[in-house]
Amino acid sequence: MGNNKRVVVIDDDANIRRVMELKLRKGGYEVITAMNGEEGLNLIASEQPDAVITDIMMPKLDGQSLCEQTNHLKEQRPFLTIVMTNRISPDDRNWVNEMRETQLMEKPFSPSKVLARIDEYFCDK
Amino acid sequence: MKIQRIGALLIVMCLIGISVVSSTLIRYEKRKRTQDVVNKGHYLVTLIALHSIRDFEGHKRTFFLRTLHEYTSSEGLAYCLIHDQAGRPFVVLDPYKLVSEIPEDIQMKSLYAAAFNPQTYQTGKSGQTIYEFAKPIFENGEQAGTVRLGMMPAAVSLFSVEHIGLLATIAFFIFAMVPFVYYGIKLAFKPLGSLSVRAKNMIEGSASGDVGVSEEPKVDDVIDSLDRSLNLLRENYKKLEAANIESEAKKGVIAYEKKQLTNILDSVQYGIVITDHQDRVNHINAYMLHLLNKERDDVIDHPLGEVIENEEILTFVSNHEAASQRTTPRHIEVSLPELAPGEVFQVTASYLSDADGSVIGKVVSAKNVTNEKAAERAKHEFVAHVTHELRAPLTTIKSYNEMLMDGEIKDAETQKEFYNTISEETDRLAHLIEDLLNISKIEMGSLTLNKGLVKTDWLVKDCIAAIEAPARKKHVTVEKQVPDNYPTLMGDKELLKVAVINILGNAVKYTPENRTITFSLKEEDHTVIFDVMDQGYGISEEDLPHIFEQFYRAEDPQISDQTGSGLGLATTSEIVQLHGGEIEVQSALGEGTHFSIRLPKEEYQLGKQ
Repeated sequence: MGNNKRVVVIDDDANIRRVMELKLRKGGYEVITAMNGEEGLNLIASEQPDAVITDIMMPKLDGQSLCEQTNHLKEQRPFLTIVMTNRISPDDRNWVNEMRETQLMEKPFSPSKVLARIDEYFCDK
Repeated sequence: MKIQRIGALLIVMCLIGISVVSSTLIRYEKRKRTQDVVNKGHYLVTLIALHSIRDFEGHKRTFFLRTLHEYTSSEGLAYCLIHDQAGRPFVVLDPYKLVSEIPEDIQMKSLYAAAFNPQTYQTGKSGQTIYEFAKPIFENGEQAGTVRLGMMPAAVSLFSVEHIGLLATIAFFIFAMVPFVYYGIKLAFKPLGSLSVRAKNMIEGSASGDVGVSEEPKVDDVIDSLDRSLNLLRENYKKLEAANIESEAKKGVIAYEKKQLTNILDSVQYGIVITDHQDRVNHINAYMLHLLNKERDDVIDHPLGEVIENEEILTFVSNHEAASQRTTPRHIEVSLPELAPGEVFQVTASYLSDADGSVIGKVVSAKNVTNEKAAERAKHEFVAHVTHELRAPLTTIKSYNEMLMDGEIKDAETQKEFYNTISEETDRLAHLIEDLLNISKIEMGSLTLNKGLVKTDWLVKDCIAAIEAPARKKHVTVEKQVPDNYPTLMGDKELLKVAVINILGNAVKYTPENRTITFSLKEEDHTVIFDVMDQGYGISEEDLPHIFEQFYRAEDPQISDQTGSGLGLATTSEIVQLHGGEIEVQSALGEGTHFSIRLPKEEYQLGKQ
């Protein structure tokens, strides 16, 4: 899988960034990481990723704002966003539903399942 | 008193009645005769005065006197005198020899004063009342003489035949009335006796309403019965008076209780408005008046809409009309920016009902829930924060473990790195749980010290061991400055370890790589002092006063980028205070931080701890 698709992983926890980077690379994806929302936003704009994995609670810019600010980019060039949250709340579900190509996943997550979710997205394309 | 006595009294009263009737009759008869004599006197004197003076001279005089004499016995004529122009009497008829007894002034007045009205005088001998009439006799337009007549009313006798007959008739009727009156009184007393018995029974509370009076009622019995009834009435009056006093006392108690209730309502820390069924304000407490910034007189009896000028509240209260909701108070949360900016009030409306369940008014209350809302928000933030802090290491452990188990990591070095990370994250999780438990105990007030002898060399060793791995990872050197003779102190070793590790851990966390941390221990004036100095980012002036507050984390990215629960310094501060010590901090951005923990060195006394 993968086929040189580009994934941006945004999380303030270095361990998460590390494990996702390893897992996705093994799955055949090109991975770029960012340690906060602001950095992630810039990467999305510059790198034009095919998928984004982002945490919600992050310094500088939280996951929801990041999604809201990148949603318009998907009109011309759709990409998958997986939002990682500690607990899926109705509020989270509501705002995620309003975003294009955006899915919710609960922490603690399994790296294999995240990879499978991304593979599945690209298979369906 | 007996009936016979009443009979005797009646007879006496009859006799008095007869006397009164008799005297009235005599007075009437006298008045009648006097009037008769007066009329006749006028008539006769006028008749005589119409004659010419010559008619009383010569043979005519004899005829006149004879005719006039007839009047003396039948019509009451006492005397007749005719005077000539000079006032000399030339005709005198005086059968009763009264003329000599006529007072001078009467004669003079009759002769010269032309007295047309009769004059009255009494004769000296018999005391008989005489009425004298006088009139002038004119001839050719001039007074030729004067005629004087004395009239004497006939004496009235009670024992005349007519009077005796009349009195006998009256007496007969009076005596005939006596039996009727007697039996009339008896008949009148009969129901009165029954009434008295009934009254007595009524006052005594007897249920029997039909009381027959079989015996002949006696006045004494009736009076006795009435007397007893009166006594009973007095007793009942006293009871009523006592009840009245009790009622007054109860009214006093009710008024006092009402005042107490008003005081209680005024002392509660939320606003209350009570309205009648027409939504007019009946009562308002002090809190509500203060909140609405109004005076009591401007509010009482005014419509609720004028008192509470907030549309949201009024709509809520008026929408609360449905019958099914009457017993279920609900609430809304409103802000009153003009009256209390930045505060949130919980407004409740409920109905007041009477015994039949009819609505008689409303109670609107407003409670300031600003602090509760803030506490609620803080609670949610705490839960969200703790969840995040707990899930972060769990996520790492789970994902790293999965990678190792799936055989994704072939490289031995990376495998080691993964195992180390899992170990560190497990420690972090344990540490976090310990912090949470401690903070929970602090919140509950149940954090107690398990005091014992603490050898500070062990304490320093354990603390340095706890931060060794992360320090080494960041290439941060921990420089230790300790005395040759380690002091000992009294305290809870485990909690002191937590307190010092939190400070040391922060120093490692917020110090950039390749820097040095100094950890020193010394004893001064029976105080054991731990100093931790780092060359880290430092703490800003704004953050410094808040660093010991729970969950406080600096906004500075150098700080907030690091993982942390915001509980460490709060826990340390509490532990130090429990030991009777103090914690000090000196810091400035970019200049590192210096924490100083000062603990009193209690002497160890065997058996005391």
